[in-house]
Amino acid sequence: MKDRLFRLAYGIVRDQEEAEDILQDLLLKLWSRKEEWSDIGNLEAYCFRAIKNMALDRLATMTVRKTDSIEREKEDLYFVDHQSPHSEMVVKEQRILIERCLRELPENQQLTFRLREVEGMSYREISETLAISEDLVKISLFRARKKMKELLAGYGS
Amino acid sequence: MAAKNDGYIDILLERYWSCETTLSEEQELRDFFSQSNLPAAWQPYAPLFAYTREEQSVSLSEGFDERLKKAMEKEKAGNKEYITIRIFAPLLRVAASLLLIVGLGISIFFITRQNNNPWFVETYDDPNAAIKDATYALEKLSHALQTTEEASLETIRVIDDLDIDWSALDSLMAEDEELTADSLAATAQEKKDTLHIGTFISNNKKEKEI
Repeated sequence: MKDRLFRLAYGIVRDQEEAEDILQDLLLKLWSRKEEWSDIGNLEAYCFRAIKNMALDRLATMTVRKTDSIEREKEDLYFVDHQSPHSEMVVKEQRILIERCLRELPENQQLTFRLREVEGMSYREISETLAISEDLVKISLFRARKKMKELLAGYGS
Repeated sequence: MAAKNDGYIDILLERYWSCETTLSEEQELRDFFSQSNLPAAWQPYAPLFAYTREEQSVSLSEGFDERLKKAMEKEKAGNKEYITIRIFAPLLRVAASLLLIVGLGISIFFITRQNNNPWFVETYDDPNAAIKDATYALEKLSHALQTTEEASLETIRVIDDLDIDWSALDSLMAEDEELTADSLAATAQEKKDTLHIGTFISNNKKEKEI
């Protein structure tokens, strides 16, 4: 559970330390409100929602704080270019491409994709986590996968 | 194995793109795409499944639980430390406003009292004592005045005793004034004379010639 929450936060902020920080904040908050746990219907979905919101908030302040994320990406590419064998370079480049494509997706699609592919959640779980309807989950996932397919097919040819 | 599964994978993949696969089927796809010698037709999609697999392996760093524990203890300690303040927080607000009101009231009271008060305040209960003290104060004052008057009279007497000829002094002053006035007039006249003297001489000469 902790790892899944962490992965969701990490998926949003893309920073190990920040994600762990967010998770710690969430757990501390949860701990301080132990008596309210019984009032929360689905604690797991509640936690996912909370960490999603916290991570998005953090991401907003992070982009204000530091704007070197794109630079770092470029650096990675540069590094790969000169030191790794060709196949590794291609893999890394594809990874960066996928990541960038994901990041450009609307928030709902991005999170749906992540929760489905990485966390292996059912449509119902995702709809509870993101507080959207199951239909919207399916639509979002469909659009995200379609985008990925287009990207990969285009890259392969 | 690949040849046998080709059609199956194709179908799975198609269903995957249209979001009809179940979670277990998606896992099957991920497993299939993780094999190293993938047929070329599926090669383009391998990075996607590789990416999700990689993302699945992301986990918390080892020290996280330890840090969380510490933070929780700190939080607990912090709660204890400020628990009294937290309980009295609403009361503190009331107390602060009360203090403000009382302070304002006191300052206003003093300011108004200061303005209304007469400068002289009756401090004596016994009129006789008041008269006595007043007389004493007045006597002190008149005594002081008297001494200064005497002192000035004494000075005048001393000056009289010096027997100065005042009229002489006055005339001296007047003379001095006259003198300065005279000298001014004289210098002005001198300048005029020097101007005229040349013409005067030439006139004289002419008269003689004639």
